[in-house]
Amino acid sequence: MDFIEVAGIGKTFGTFQALDAVDLSVEEREFITLLGPSGCGKTTMLRTLAGFLTPDAGTIHVAGQLFSSPTAVLPPERRRMGMVFQNYAVWPHMSVFDNVAFGLQINNVGRSAISERVSRMLAAVGLEGLERRHPSQLSGGQQQRVALARSLVVEPAILLLDEPLSNLDAKLRERMRAELKTLQRQLGITFIYVTHDQAEAMALSDRIIVFNKGRVQQVGTPRQVYERPANLFVADFMGVVNKLPGVLIEHRGAEGHVRIGQQTIAARLGDGLSAADRAIVIAIRPEAIGLGPGAARDRANVLKGRLIDSAFLGNIVDHQVDVDGTLVRVQGDRLQSVEPGAEIELSIPIAECVAMRGDLPEHHEPEQDRS
Amino acid sequence: MQVIAPAGTARGAPAIAAAAPTGRFGLERILLGLGVALLLLLVGYPLLWLLLGALGLPQSIGLEHLARAFTRPQNYAALVNTLELALGTGLMSVAIGVPLAWATARSDMPLRQLVHVLVALSYITPPYLTALAYIILFGPDAGQFNRLLRALFGLTSGPINVFSMSGVIFVIGIHVFAFTYFLTYTALKAVDASLEESAQMLGAKRWQTVLRINLPLVAPAITGGALLSAIDSLALFGPQAIIGTPAQIVFLPTRIYATIGSYPPRWGEASALSLLLVALTVAGLALQRGYLEQRSYVTVGGRGVRTRRLEHGLWRWPLTGFCLSVVFFSAVAPIGVLTLTAFSNSWIEPLSASNITLAHFQAALFTDQVSVRGIINSFKLATAAAAVAVALGAIVAYLDLRTTLWGRRLLDYLAILPLGLPGTVMAVGILLAFIRFPLPIYGTIWILLAAYVARFVPLATRSANASFRQIDPALEEAGRITGASWWLTMRRVLFPLARPGLLVAFLLVFIPAFSELSATILLYAGGTETIAIAIYRLNDLGQLEVVSALAVFTIGVVLSLALLVNWLSGSSWASGETPIRG
Repeated sequence: MDFIEVAGIGKTFGTFQALDAVDLSVEEREFITLLGPSGCGKTTMLRTLAGFLTPDAGTIHVAGQLFSSPTAVLPPERRRMGMVFQNYAVWPHMSVFDNVAFGLQINNVGRSAISERVSRMLAAVGLEGLERRHPSQLSGGQQQRVALARSLVVEPAILLLDEPLSNLDAKLRERMRAELKTLQRQLGITFIYVTHDQAEAMALSDRIIVFNKGRVQQVGTPRQVYERPANLFVADFMGVVNKLPGVLIEHRGAEGHVRIGQQTIAARLGDGLSAADRAIVIAIRPEAIGLGPGAARDRANVLKGRLIDSAFLGNIVDHQVDVDGTLVRVQGDRLQSVEPGAEIELSIPIAECVAMRGDLPEHHEPEQDRS
Repeated sequence: MQVIAPAGTARGAPAIAAAAPTGRFGLERILLGLGVALLLLLVGYPLLWLLLGALGLPQSIGLEHLARAFTRPQNYAALVNTLELALGTGLMSVAIGVPLAWATARSDMPLRQLVHVLVALSYITPPYLTALAYIILFGPDAGQFNRLLRALFGLTSGPINVFSMSGVIFVIGIHVFAFTYFLTYTALKAVDASLEESAQMLGAKRWQTVLRINLPLVAPAITGGALLSAIDSLALFGPQAIIGTPAQIVFLPTRIYATIGSYPPRWGEASALSLLLVALTVAGLALQRGYLEQRSYVTVGGRGVRTRRLEHGLWRWPLTGFCLSVVFFSAVAPIGVLTLTAFSNSWIEPLSASNITLAHFQAALFTDQVSVRGIINSFKLATAAAAVAVALGAIVAYLDLRTTLWGRRLLDYLAILPLGLPGTVMAVGILLAFIRFPLPIYGTIWILLAAYVARFVPLATRSANASFRQIDPALEEAGRITGASWWLTMRRVLFPLARPGLLVAFLLVFIPAFSELSATILLYAGGTETIAIAIYRLNDLGQLEVVSALAVFTIGVVLSLALLVNWLSGSSWASGETPIRG
């Protein structure tokens, strides 16, 4: 049994199905991210793990012990977890020191031990010297560090983080990202991290669990989830993707031939695609497409199209190409320029063309926005 | 790192005790359950008795009381008078409240700050004290203003008799117009200047802008304010009794009082009349709510609204004159005359050095038995009622905002319900409920405590609700996940953060409970007199100087506490403006 075992968890709010038969397992010391758009159920899952919500169905076991079931819930304070909240939730009526010392005080840790452990923790998050400050005197980033120190000082086995960086500005966010990763490695604590930012998820996680409409769509390493998305939703959510509708005309093993408009290309068959599926969608990342036949490598498709427009974005050039009536985005080299209106050829490695079902599996429609 | 047995559980022992589906435990359930039970006992149970009483229970059962309530000519007259009063005060509140609101909110009139404060003062002054002051000012023979007018114009009698229907409407009107004033003021402040400027850019003149833009935008507030004024005037037993009864004008609350005071008391009829009063109130409130909700274009209290003061040129002088005379009659004259009377040997004599005395204060505060007992009882009762109401209000607010418990909305509704109920009605319900088994506390001070808690728990509930609403639940969740139990989280996180708001809630109950009259008059007994009863009784005895001294003392207490509330609300956390986040 894994460290954290979530089995068949379901939760509804009124008529809104927030979680639908969610199964997960997390290993010890893993950095795992629950990723998805707002309303997908990721925060509900995190709050159920914390013990703030009682599931309607399913169980949660941690280290072999039952933590949550519809009839019994271990209260949050007895779970040995820490939690960092989106808006920090640093207590405004306590100093930085008192915020961090709180968890130790209620566990009757001795005065001198408290002071020593708090100082060590504040040093670890880079807040030494600010012990006597009140939260109102701190910046957002500093408050987030207080929240981190407060939850880590009691040495939890698991740290839950609910979009902890979403209220910080872009630069600080990247710095905190790196610090969080380092901290997690040093402390060897299991981190369960919730975010809607796929770049953040990829930068931090050992594994990503993609949620949509209350269900787990895919579990995998960042590379797996990006390069081998389980379905169109995951492909779309993990980054920009071109979706070319086509017809599967034949398939042999892991590959098949697909007709797109007047042209035919070879494509890798995605997971869950059955022989009965004829109308499919080819998903291609813009950076996988080369401009011109010269860009072709081994086993590549060539698609003909016409360049509509290009936008110079500094590090890359974003081209819009019309392929038989479908607009295709191509991430091009900044040194390569093509005039709008020109007929061009696009070369795409077969491995980067993934045939997927165009529709998503049946789901309950969310009626309100909940994250 | 060594993992894991949940803290506090031995290895191998079952980690989980069976828990409720809501995930709430032990102490939490007991405390919250007690609060709910007390609320049902103090609010739900008396209201149930009001219905039972109207049906004739416990003596008999039938519809004859209801029938009698609607057929007796005395009751019919009381109903007509009450409706006339409501209509009169509603119209009066618009006639004086709206111009005042415009003047202070949007004009460049001088002294507008003073006018604003004095309107608040006239609202804070208990209306039965204003009524007493008007007897001193406009009593048909000895009234100060009447004597002044007679001297000025060489008249031999009158000219103004406060003991009349118009007298009652006027005295109540100068109290309740504050509702219309404050609602209109807030609405006018919330109209962004860009809305007016857009009209002006299209070529509208200023009067066209006011008529076509401002007025329609604040119309729901004006109507809502007029309805609130009318509803409140129905319930004001004090002025209705103090001015109406000598003039032999009966209103529903005074009629109910007479029905209960008759021998033998006709409780069934009193309950039936109370239900009639409730019906009027509920109809008015439903109308008001409908108006404010459906036709509210202005986001009241919206942020970042920019308003412009309009220059009124020479017009601001008549406007100032009008505003100053309104607040002169609503606040300055009544409080002034009570103060003068309290310090005069005899209120009939003109003010002079020889006519100044502190004897009445000595009588009111130290020697008069009923008065002294009233002061002590009022302090005790107001303190206890405020404490209990805040505890109940906090429990209701907590259940509403922090749990998903079934029925929490219903509970919140029950806790807010008494706000719309006249004190007389609440008192009849409390009387019927607590005069008999299982809780026969009638005749003791406890029944007054029950009545005050029941009447004013809405104020505490709303205040506690506003206070908790500002506190991000994540702050409490952070306490739980850090290892603190529910109660410890309450003590260390929620209560300290909510303390300023709960203190305001305490004062908001204390202030009206301290001077409560309309319920007390039906429930007090020898020994449990309050300040309001002392004033009422001493007035009956004609001791206007001692009454005035007691009145000045009461206004002093109420006013200082109101200033404290204002100050507390202005300071960051309790203001309802800044949410408390981490």
